Amino acid sequence: MKLKTKEAITGICFALPALIGIFVFYLIPYVISLYYGFTLRGKFVGFQNFALLFKSKTFWLAIKNTAVFSVIAIPLAVIIPLLISLFLSTFDKHTGFFSSLFLSPLIVPIASVVYVWQIFFTDYGVINSLLQKIGLQPVAFFKGPWSMALVIFIFVWKNCAYNIILFSAGLRKIPKEVREPARLDGANPFQVLTKITLPLLSPTTFFVLLMTIISSFKIYREVYMLYGVYPDEHVYMIQHFMNNNFNNLNYPRLSTASIVLSIFVIAFMLVFFLAERRSSK
Amino acid sequence: MKKRVVIAAKYAALGCITLLFLLPIIYMLANSFMTSAEIAEKYTTNSEHYAGFHLIPDRFSLEQYYQAFLRRPQFLKLFWNSMLITVPIVAVQTIVSVFAAFAFTKLRFPLRDALFFIFIILLILPSWVTLMPNYMMIQRMGLLDTVWSLILPSSFTAFGVCLLRQYMRYVPDETIEAAKIDGASTVKILFKIVLPQVKGGVASLIILTFIDSWNMVEQVIIYISDKEKYPLSVALSEYAATDSGIIFACGVIFMFPPLLLYLYHSREFKNARM
Repeated sequence: MKLKTKEAITGICFALPALIGIFVFYLIPYVISLYYGFTLRGKFVGFQNFALLFKSKTFWLAIKNTAVFSVIAIPLAVIIPLLISLFLSTFDKHTGFFSSLFLSPLIVPIASVVYVWQIFFTDYGVINSLLQKIGLQPVAFFKGPWSMALVIFIFVWKNCAYNIILFSAGLRKIPKEVREPARLDGANPFQVLTKITLPLLSPTTFFVLLMTIISSFKIYREVYMLYGVYPDEHVYMIQHFMNNNFNNLNYPRLSTASIVLSIFVIAFMLVFFLAERRSSK
Repeated sequence: MKKRVVIAAKYAALGCITLLFLLPIIYMLANSFMTSAEIAEKYTTNSEHYAGFHLIPDRFSLEQYYQAFLRRPQFLKLFWNSMLITVPIVAVQTIVSVFAAFAFTKLRFPLRDALFFIFIILLILPSWVTLMPNYMMIQRMGLLDTVWSLILPSSFTAFGVCLLRQYMRYVPDETIEAAKIDGASTVKILFKIVLPQVKGGVASLIILTFIDSWNMVEQVIIYISDKEKYPLSVALSEYAATDSGIIFACGVIFMFPPLLLYLYHSREFKNARM
């Protein structure tokens, strides 16, 4: 009995610094922001702030762009690494050297390489000079719809690395003995892949997907480096919307946006985790 | 014979993929040995003059590095700003997370699972949601426009606790029970038995937290108004506009701390566990 209380006290003490930090900087102010969300200059106004938020055109623009970005970039950043790691797994020899090279885009800071991207993709840059040489029209990567393509490309380039490492680790865990008998029974390599390898890999795939979604939330960094504070409207993301409201310290707007977005993200993640649980059964 | 051709083709394909990932980095490294004059000549673009692909400098020169290290105190100051933010965040977050993850994985206390659930929710919340609560607290504490506004909230994130917990779950309970029976204290169990088995997790946490803080952008442009306090992650892109002659060397220098850290721990990091 006494031993149990002692363990409980130690446990709370060990967790306390983390808990205090989380409560002070995240939970308590989040609860305070609920107050701001439902009031205007100290008066309770019900859902008025929310109604105003949903009328804001920039809010929907930011939501739309973030959604377009996520729907294209996240699957690409999962499928390409999956294909590369399947390819790596066909090598007999150890490919560790190559996978450490693959990690470099993750290690190298965004700000370091951004100038290279600018030289490559600017209006009179390397890519457009190539396009011109082969007789194609130059593309404006910093204006218009192609700016989203550039952002997606850089996201995929940066995030493939870690996902390759995760997928390779997952593939190593699937023993050869599971795949070999199917081969002998006459299954072709594609059947082995879809019927045996991919289902066994699904816990890894879920984890990779989760990590990729979390990094997709940070895409603002790349957009900021490439386009500055006021980007083209095609890459105006949710973080830009929040920043604009930080500039004029619009507390009700910031709070309502925070609340709405947090509810959305949490609901989305609940569905995600439920789907994972169901598929692992 | 045919098998050999297949293997050669596979290695060629692997080489191409690797090159694709490395190209921008190699390009930056190679161009960091250009003279500032050559950069101005080659990368000043207009409709008459497109930027070409110049991997090899006309003349090998250390001018950019010389300028960055010895002629630009401003650059070194910005670099120091980055260090000043990143090192405390990594240190605090690692220590706090080790203790908390151990408590949440191996010790039993009331409300444990409910509290951990808060961490999982926080883990997935993006900065567009958390910046607002962070800001309110920082403002109330009077810390706006100080380095503390960047260090404090980032030192307490759910990421470290969740990551280390994933590793600690695989530490067998029997070894801990055995140590307990031998009379080892909880602190001793954590440092002598658990930590040596989760080295990979700690290394991953240190590397990923370092990278994340080294690249900090959102917090800086909201909390900091004095540009003298900007870390390089934000300042470098502005620097490029005013002083593009040494930008490649600056990029290479900025890349070194995370790279060295990664090389030092690469083996643990690559044996990723989930």
